[in-house]
Amino acid sequence: MRELAYYEAKFEALGEIMAADERVHLIGGTFLSLSTRRAIYQELVKKYPGRAVSPPISELSFCGLATGAAMAGLRPIVDLSTGSFIFEAWPQVANEAANALYMSAGQTRVPVVFHIFHGIRGGGAAQHSHSPQAMFWNCPGLEIVLPSSPRDVKGLLKTAVASDNPTIFVDHVQLLEVRGEVPENDKPIPFGQADVKRKGSDVTVIATSLEVQKSLGAAERLAEEGIQVEVVDPRTVVPLDFQTLLASVEKTGRVVIVDQCHRSCGIAAELAARIAEEGFDKLKAPLRRVTTPDVPIPFSPPLEEFVTPSESRIIDAVRAVLR
Amino acid sequence: MLPKLPRQTLLELCRRMFVIRHFEEGLVRLYEQGHFSGHYHLYIGQEATGVPALSCVREGDYLFTTHRNHGHLLARGADPKRLAAEILGRSDGYNKGKGGSFHTVVPSLGFLHTSAVVAGIIPLATGTAYASRALKNGRITVCLFGDGALEEGASPEALNLASLYKLPVLFLCENNGKYGLGRAAGAAQSPSMAAFPLIDLPKAYKIPAQQVDGTDSGAVHGLIAETVEKIRAGEGPHFIEAQTVRWPGSETNWPTVPYPTNASLAWDVGGVPEKVRDWYRQSDPLLIFIRELVEAKQATREEIFGIESDVKKSIEEAMDFALESPYPNPEEASKDIFA
Amino acid sequence: MKKRDREELLPLLEKMWIIRAFEEKVSELYAKKEILGLIHLGIGQEAVAVGICSLLHQDDYVFSGHRAHGHAIAKGADLGRLMAELAGRSTGYCRGKGGSMHIVAMDAGFVAATGIVGGTIPLALGAALVCKEKKKRQLAVVFFGDGAGQTGAFHESLNIASLWKLPVIFVCENNGYAEFTPLSAHTVVSRLADHARTYSMPNVTVDGNDLLAVLDAAREAVQRARSGEGATFIECLTYRLRGHYEGDPGKYRELSEVAEWKAKDPIARFSEMLKQKRMASEKQIREAEIEARARVEKAVDFALSSPWPEADEVTKQVFA
Repeated sequence: MRELAYYEAKFEALGEIMAADERVHLIGGTFLSLSTRRAIYQELVKKYPGRAVSPPISELSFCGLATGAAMAGLRPIVDLSTGSFIFEAWPQVANEAANALYMSAGQTRVPVVFHIFHGIRGGGAAQHSHSPQAMFWNCPGLEIVLPSSPRDVKGLLKTAVASDNPTIFVDHVQLLEVRGEVPENDKPIPFGQADVKRKGSDVTVIATSLEVQKSLGAAERLAEEGIQVEVVDPRTVVPLDFQTLLASVEKTGRVVIVDQCHRSCGIAAELAARIAEEGFDKLKAPLRRVTTPDVPIPFSPPLEEFVTPSESRIIDAVRAVLR
Repeated sequence: MLPKLPRQTLLELCRRMFVIRHFEEGLVRLYEQGHFSGHYHLYIGQEATGVPALSCVREGDYLFTTHRNHGHLLARGADPKRLAAEILGRSDGYNKGKGGSFHTVVPSLGFLHTSAVVAGIIPLATGTAYASRALKNGRITVCLFGDGALEEGASPEALNLASLYKLPVLFLCENNGKYGLGRAAGAAQSPSMAAFPLIDLPKAYKIPAQQVDGTDSGAVHGLIAETVEKIRAGEGPHFIEAQTVRWPGSETNWPTVPYPTNASLAWDVGGVPEKVRDWYRQSDPLLIFIRELVEAKQATREEIFGIESDVKKSIEEAMDFALESPYPNPEEASKDIFA
Repeated sequence: MKKRDREELLPLLEKMWIIRAFEEKVSELYAKKEILGLIHLGIGQEAVAVGICSLLHQDDYVFSGHRAHGHAIAKGADLGRLMAELAGRSTGYCRGKGGSMHIVAMDAGFVAATGIVGGTIPLALGAALVCKEKKKRQLAVVFFGDGAGQTGAFHESLNIASLWKLPVIFVCENNGYAEFTPLSAHTVVSRLADHARTYSMPNVTVDGNDLLAVLDAAREAVQRARSGEGATFIECLTYRLRGHYEGDPGKYRELSEVAEWKAKDPIARFSEMLKQKRMASEKQIREAEIEARARVEKAVDFALSSPWPEADEVTKQVFA
């Protein structure tokens, strides 16, 4: 099977999406981030003039534009670039797009995809390092997607565009160079379908986005000590495939949840609550979370490293639930 | 002046203005009787803007409006029964009771989404315009909002995009903040907007912008009909500021009807309380329109009284329909979250 | 041109040189990975920072954006603490927690920088309101680029500043590019001062690379603010000689354009003017540069020998 870099799989997905449906418009220009890969994206802009615009720095209005365009028959993918910038567009995303279908009792659909790069990236400091995905989980009406591998980003992006719901596509710049298998002509990945990325019998580690990769790294190291970690990736938290998560909890009885959102009210917090509600009697030990502490992200490299969930912290947490 | 339209059309415009007026007054009664709660905003005093303006749109065009939407929906031909039911939160409402006064939608008439966030719809309007142009379907977007919306950052941002991408959208701003008596030209400087006149804001983006007396149905119709054609011809966004004199019933925290409207007020406001008499005598666009119809011999007083009488009856029926419509089942609360 | 003393103008050249030397040194350190993160240098835009800030007092408030080093320096920030902050050390102004885009030097009256385009514009309104109420003839200044002109916050702020006659100076460094995009691709408006006119605010557009022109505009604006007459908008046409951020290959700009603006370098022009008007000798001009670079070296020594912050620093100052 062929192997692609994450950014290659994402670019391939964008190309296929644009070719398949002329209602898809791209608003914004950093789908492949601001790294050296940025130039590749320009190929799409050149190929589809009139369907790829680079808007001014006015997130509120261009997210509103994308939402309105979706109401009127297009299927836009709008790029906010750094996840923190979505705060500029909050009223349009949370108060217009999220509500439209419900408030209209099903009459108006909003097939828009809001694309962000979340999280701690290396020197981004407090204003460029947010992971806002959990905040959107608290706005009913928004789908939330978090790919973690080349195959996932391609399959999930296709489903995001095909979905008639407003979708937050949560990516991470540190995933872009990750390599993985991507079959030719792969089918789109449905939402609400978790993926067991690594099978194991001792501890369940649930993780999203970049943390999946770190969890896999931690699992490799722990395997050398004979500890078999099962890594479960929900891939989408809205809709959430809780059954797969629960099945793994039932299998191992020990859970660590890894998430780059802040500790309070992050993704890990919600998953922990649900496991406590529905899987309590399957647990052999209290569950553990590995998250970013409740502090704004500091600039200085050693401080930033300290607050970022890491392989070592995941390993420590696994050991803790095994005690 | 009257719009340059055939007599039958003028009578239809008259009928729609009556529908709005009596519907809105009827709502106040329903509210005072405790049949619905929450804030609501009436279109009384602006009928001569909404009715002629919305007569210029075609099927398929996109329309956006705000919390002050009843008049726009009714002007466009929405069913008073279903609108009333929605405002009362009943299951026969346009949004099955899930939207209420703030969010009523009628997609078949072009209203896909109604926002009560000031300026919430303005970026959305650039979106439907963007889509129409991309899909080459000949549709235009008319965005209806009040003067307050221009204070929100979303507005200049959206004006910028509209001009940058030459979008087929008409921004129709209804400035009901005009002070003073009569229909003198020029609105007053707002205490919350430094730009004056308001049309300087779109002009900064080279968007053609004009002011019009919103109580003059002929002026409104003429300007909007002409502007809409320009937009359809691909000339890009346009902005119109229609000025009206605020209805005295809106001065209180919740709407109150200072004096129930009836067509004879067009010729005799003697019975109207003195405090608001001048408004009804000089600034009520519905009464102005009726007077002009008769003066121009397009209708007799009797015809007009007849139209009004029919409308009053249909509004009563609409209110009864709404009151008799059942509330939605609790299960409805968890439907339509996702497509 | 007014007659000006050598005492008044030579120090301004020295100040511009400090900014230039500092920024060039930061670029060098960034290439050596002694400084990490997102760095946006203001090389080529020094006349704006110095022209405006030279007329301010220590207790006037200055706000800026992501390209803020020059503004902080011009306002009087300590070079060592500034460099240490960029290098993430505990002796930095923000104990290493802010970095380049989030400089705060309260002792110098430099209140806030931001990585969010237009993010500090509303903040400046607040400071100006306080100034107005205190009646001590203080004022606020906010620096931003042409990209901020398309943000809603910019418009909302112009509106309020005008309505409430706030003692605030809006300084727009129009360098023709918002990140990697020319202004013309983002708006049909080419002069941001026109927006100020829409909101009935006194406004002017000047050659931002001509320090004297900036000074003249600043003088009038400061006088207006201090006398209770309200806000002014100063648009300074200028150019950044380096990329949007360090590491930006800058392929979106023509080399000829960069060369054209290099020839209008504010420091070179001002130096030439001083020489011609006999307000400074060749020697003094050279010394200004030498002295500046020496001071920056001291700042680097201080910064790079400073300790890193301790891990427990992360939980400090989340709340007062």
